[in-house]
Amino acid sequence: MSIREELLKLVGADKFTDAPEALKAYSTDFSLVPSGTPNYVIKPKKTEDVRKVVEFANENSIPVVPVSSSAHFYGATIPKQGGIVLDLTGMNKIFEIDELNRRVRVEAGVTWEQLTNELGEKGFRIIMPLLPHPSRSVVTDYLEREVPTNTVYDYGEPLQSMEVVWPTGEIFRTGSASVAGYPDSPSKGANPSGPGLDFYRLLQGAQGTMGVVTWANFKIEYLPKIDKILFAPVRDLDYALEFLYRVLRLRIGQECLLLNNVDLAAIIADDWSKDFEKLRASLPPWTLIMVISGLQRHPEGKIQYEEKAIGEILRNEFPEMHLADNLPGFPGLSKKLLPMLRKPWSNKVTYWKKRYKGGCQSFFFITKPTQASKFITKVEQIAARHGYPIRDIGSYLQPIEHNRACHLEFNFFYDPESRSDVEMVRSLYDEAAKVLLSEGALFTRPYGEELTRLVYEKAADYTMTLRRVKKIFDPNNIMNPGKLCF
Amino acid sequence: MPKSKVSLDVTQIENFVFDMSRCIKCKGCTWVDHIYMPGVKYSTRCPSATRYLFDSYGAYGKMRIGVAMVEGKLGYSDELLKILYACTLCGACDVGCKRNLDLEIELTLEALRIKTVKDGKGPMPEHKKIAQNIAQKHNFFGSPHANRKKWLTDEIKISPKADLLYFVGCSASYIHPEIARATAKILNIAETPFMLLPDEWCCGNMLYSVGMIDEARELAKRNIEAVKKTGAKTLLTSCAEGYRMWKVDYPKMLNISTADLGFKVVHLTEYVDELIKKGALKLSNRIDLRLTYHDPCSLSRLSEPWIPWKGERGLWGVVNPPLERRRGTNGVYQQPRDVLSSIPGIQLVEMIRMRENAFCCGAGRGTKEAFPDFASWAAGQRLVEAKEVGAEAIVSACPWCKDNFTEAVKNNGKSLKVLDFSELVLSAIEGTGKRR
Amino acid sequence: MAISKEAYKVLESIVGSEYISTDPTICEGYRSGPGGYESGLGYERVMTKIPGCVIMPRTTEEVQKTVKVCNRYKIPYVPYSTGFYGPRSHPHVSDALIIDLKRMDDFEIDEKHLYAIVGSGVIYSELQAEAMKRGLYIVIGGGGSQVSAIANMLGDGWSPLSYRVGLPHRRILGTELILPDGELVRLGSLAFQEDDYHWGEGPGPDLRGLLRGFTGHRGFLGIVTKMAIKLLPFQPEKLVPTGISPNTALELPERRVKWINFTMPSKDSMRKAMVEMANAEIGAGATKVPIFWRVIARAKSKEEFWELWSKENEERIANFHVLRVLLIGFTSEEQLEYEEKVLMEIVGELGGEARRTRPTDESWFKNADSAGMWLMCGGYVSVDYVIETLEHAIPHGENYAKLKRNFTPPLMPDYGDPGWFQSFELGHQGYSEFLVYWDPDENTDGVDQFYLETSKENIRKRFYTSLLGSHQPLYLTGPAYGPNYHKWLLKIKDEFDPQFICHPPVPLNHDVFVERAPWLHAQKDWESPELPKSS
Repeated sequence: MSIREELLKLVGADKFTDAPEALKAYSTDFSLVPSGTPNYVIKPKKTEDVRKVVEFANENSIPVVPVSSSAHFYGATIPKQGGIVLDLTGMNKIFEIDELNRRVRVEAGVTWEQLTNELGEKGFRIIMPLLPHPSRSVVTDYLEREVPTNTVYDYGEPLQSMEVVWPTGEIFRTGSASVAGYPDSPSKGANPSGPGLDFYRLLQGAQGTMGVVTWANFKIEYLPKIDKILFAPVRDLDYALEFLYRVLRLRIGQECLLLNNVDLAAIIADDWSKDFEKLRASLPPWTLIMVISGLQRHPEGKIQYEEKAIGEILRNEFPEMHLADNLPGFPGLSKKLLPMLRKPWSNKVTYWKKRYKGGCQSFFFITKPTQASKFITKVEQIAARHGYPIRDIGSYLQPIEHNRACHLEFNFFYDPESRSDVEMVRSLYDEAAKVLLSEGALFTRPYGEELTRLVYEKAADYTMTLRRVKKIFDPNNIMNPGKLCF
Repeated sequence: MPKSKVSLDVTQIENFVFDMSRCIKCKGCTWVDHIYMPGVKYSTRCPSATRYLFDSYGAYGKMRIGVAMVEGKLGYSDELLKILYACTLCGACDVGCKRNLDLEIELTLEALRIKTVKDGKGPMPEHKKIAQNIAQKHNFFGSPHANRKKWLTDEIKISPKADLLYFVGCSASYIHPEIARATAKILNIAETPFMLLPDEWCCGNMLYSVGMIDEARELAKRNIEAVKKTGAKTLLTSCAEGYRMWKVDYPKMLNISTADLGFKVVHLTEYVDELIKKGALKLSNRIDLRLTYHDPCSLSRLSEPWIPWKGERGLWGVVNPPLERRRGTNGVYQQPRDVLSSIPGIQLVEMIRMRENAFCCGAGRGTKEAFPDFASWAAGQRLVEAKEVGAEAIVSACPWCKDNFTEAVKNNGKSLKVLDFSELVLSAIEGTGKRR
Repeated sequence: MAISKEAYKVLESIVGSEYISTDPTICEGYRSGPGGYESGLGYERVMTKIPGCVIMPRTTEEVQKTVKVCNRYKIPYVPYSTGFYGPRSHPHVSDALIIDLKRMDDFEIDEKHLYAIVGSGVIYSELQAEAMKRGLYIVIGGGGSQVSAIANMLGDGWSPLSYRVGLPHRRILGTELILPDGELVRLGSLAFQEDDYHWGEGPGPDLRGLLRGFTGHRGFLGIVTKMAIKLLPFQPEKLVPTGISPNTALELPERRVKWINFTMPSKDSMRKAMVEMANAEIGAGATKVPIFWRVIARAKSKEEFWELWSKENEERIANFHVLRVLLIGFTSEEQLEYEEKVLMEIVGELGGEARRTRPTDESWFKNADSAGMWLMCGGYVSVDYVIETLEHAIPHGENYAKLKRNFTPPLMPDYGDPGWFQSFELGHQGYSEFLVYWDPDENTDGVDQFYLETSKENIRKRFYTSLLGSHQPLYLTGPAYGPNYHKWLLKIKDEFDPQFICHPPVPLNHDVFVERAPWLHAQKDWESPELPKSS
């Protein structure tokens, strides 16, 4: 029997396709990563399907690329060496919303839209990254360590235990879900760590190279009873960051982020053609957005003490910081933006990153907030060198955990239909990667071929060790081969 | 397990096998009490463990070594002797352990030394030389016994008979006469009559400390008899080591309690504090000095009165009758501080490790003589600490501390005054007509 | 085989003669027992040896060179920080080299970015003192202030303060790890550049996954020589040390830091209080108070403890429900007032009552009390300590209490105490811990059997457990969890320690123990493939 026949026999025709149009859909995405076409697409319905396919692929050295979302921005799921795309978008059950332990267990195919809606109905939310695409897999985004907008929880990582199919085809549960018979057990899967090793760490940031995660547990939070969104126009970014160093250590607030005029305009513009340019021109260079919330009991009391503390700091230490419940000149902003921050992007509107020119190459890394200005200047210089207009760069600074670090993101908007645009952004991205890497930017999630290559070259001993570990779990290198340093 | 007979008798190492075998290696014996932990610097209070670093040099290592010695698994060697003797028996380990547990670490260390001497393997050669000095010349240094009272000056008034007897000690008699003189003058100025022993001999501190208990006991008996003969009600010392010997180790060796000695034992710091509090002394001369006070181990951690105990130990290690353990809580900590702070112009700054957390000067109980580098090193550590808190002077209440600090200052050129408590008090009252 | 002269010479040239020794007295000082964690148990008697040599390196380079020499000359070695974790921290084979890391006490702090970089020789209380000088704090793991911060972060790391702060795993940042074969790998931001410790996640998959697992490797997968540890924002007032030993305590600035004890009418109301507190997102600590600790705190001696303890009974224990809550005004005094108001409301709804509570902390911020666990009997172990949910924690403890009866004596009579539990990660997790005590002079076979039986019971009842990896037989727990986590663990071990010289025979140590302990043979009902023959 041919591979094709074997696969058909294994999963059944309803889950299998190799029609060219179907394959084409997986061969590119919204990134600049070169295209790569799989040989087959299989859409499992349950873990056992996944297990069968992976086991077979392993026995026959066929690459497997797990895909759990229907929108991709980083090129991580473009097959480099053909093989099987394992499309888990159909595995989209929300197994349980465990109110007592504030936990939700979801399959890999569950999207942000699906999850936030269901949680919202029960009065819950999950902390989330900034305006994710509604069709992105929640499991994938947290496996890939997308940075949440909420900075107040010390345990900011919502991911708990999960189920994975190893590249050898074995089903395995991590953390406290590893007990026999889970979820029919006193263990609810709330502990991500163990057993024996911290497998969950090896699966994070792996771009599907270490196994196929089929479901995961996440922490959820109650929706606040009262929310107040505050804004401050920012001209001096360092000053604003000093304010955040000061105030976020007091454990104030929920969501807290900084967006430059371009990104913010792209997000809030209603009628694109009328609004974007006007907004871009009139918004301050940066806007600090901070949400303070009152929770389940005496919510006004919490708002009160937080406002008092913020007020004292502003008056006594940061008189140039004007944090208020609306952004001057933008009266409707609070009403508009607050609900947006608790949801993914609407599926009725073009994704915000694509609104401007159709394409967007996001360039991001982790750094200390004190380094942000330096990197911004560097990126602008590099952009100028490549002819990319500085006024078009979208920037987003996400403080992490009391502002101990931040995620700094640059969005290079471009027209994907324009060859010159694409080339410009590609070379700009590659140079920015090289320069900023050498200056200390931490590309902990390296996307893009050149950036990935540079990162793993720099982190030589890490790379070597990683390869040794990979070999243990994936001796035949079938999982998304060619990605990362594999 | 059946109940076993046990007592605090240090001549029988078997009494301490339980303690040695219950050490949990928490290193409470080495670290400063965690509540008081200052940070990454000045975090330990055991000089031996801090200097020599191998676990074996901390009490937690010594407990294990002790078990092996008792079980016959470990023979004597130079290293073993060094581990046992490069230690001032400062009591930091004992107090540290007893914050949480009921183990007699200090007594175990004493008992191990006694066993070592009994086995003919200890003490160190330097100690043997000093023991000879004591046997022949009745003093630590081997100086002529006849010169013991040479520290006296004409202006000092000694009473032929008084309730108070000043026991001077070898160091103040021969090496640091300024301490003896200051003490005597303080008593004179306070109009407190005092006697000296007609024939004062060494208290035997080093003998006891290195495990030569038979010799020490003989000396103790002789000395106690000599004091009793004078009819003194109170014995005063200006030496912390001497204080501890008289108050704690003499009763211990004779298996009586401190209360049954037949006379009270006080240190100058306690005595002056009492005099001030009852109005008999007023420290009115101004001394402009920023000083820090170093708690001498024998005056502080180790100074609680002795009560002999014997009984049984049974299940869970419970002893019967119950035993109130000496945990260093009631050492002489506050009195010297109260006195010094009452001197006009004095700014008392505390070192980072104080009271029961103090870092021993490194000299005591024969250590300096056998391990001079170690003693010098320990003193150096303490001087750095004194400088760190901005002190201009380091003050202690023991001539052995003063001696070691003085030498350390000379060696490493730190500009720090080294003073004894008695000298400061005298300066604060001399020429004032003392009272009121 | 004792370390050869040649190997010794090479090792000596790495650290200098002052910091290496094969002297029998020095080595004897490194014996595991007889006292300590798990003291007097079969494991210690059967599995531990004194080292053949002790070396004390000062730098990462010296450690790495030492490990490479061990690989060259096939010298089994054991990384050792304080040795407090009892027999498992000590050599299990003859003539092993203890790599005593206490000289690696470098310390640096980046206050602005909330982390400290420590060497393996730095202990928690030193780190906490430094953090608190700067208005920050850490969670000191239950092992106590006296343990190496790195060692504890690799295998433990939780306390009532974890209520707010969560898993210790997240607090590990840039880390230097010397693999068993001597390769140095830098994790997190350190992988990108030397001297950048501030971030924990390495490029792509996070190799911190190798560092521990739930309860750590106990030193069989290399040596961490430096680690950056997250510090957490605290509040600005000082916690003032007061008292003289043994009665030392931190005086709390009551308008900013406060413990409150509550008597609750039932265990379930205590659980509910924790849930409500977590839902309201208030508090900085919420724990059931095990009655042992209260009695230890009151007793001035072991004898007094037993006098007080003998007055307890099953009924009283069963109805003793004290909830201890910590409030910290991180933001302001007003925050503490607000939280106290909410807390009182919750407790009131559940029929609880506040008790007079001392405005001090003896136990948790600088964790001075953990050594007190040995006061009662001289022998102690935390049998199982599990982070899961409150739903898991409570029956887990109750299950133990039942099982424990069959092994009392030699276990200390505790009137059916079901252990303690607390809330973690603002109620997303719950924690249960069960401690047992015995007299090491008694026949302790029953304790070994109990320990093994709990492992089997966890598997039977589908509880998560700390008894993974090297804590209990790997071939017993391995097939039951994952399943087959042991397979991966052993593969990782084989890959990075092909000569099996890093702390042999861990992680198969407990398997070897069972083979060597006839009093456990009756309980062995699982398969073990051929075990390493270690001397």
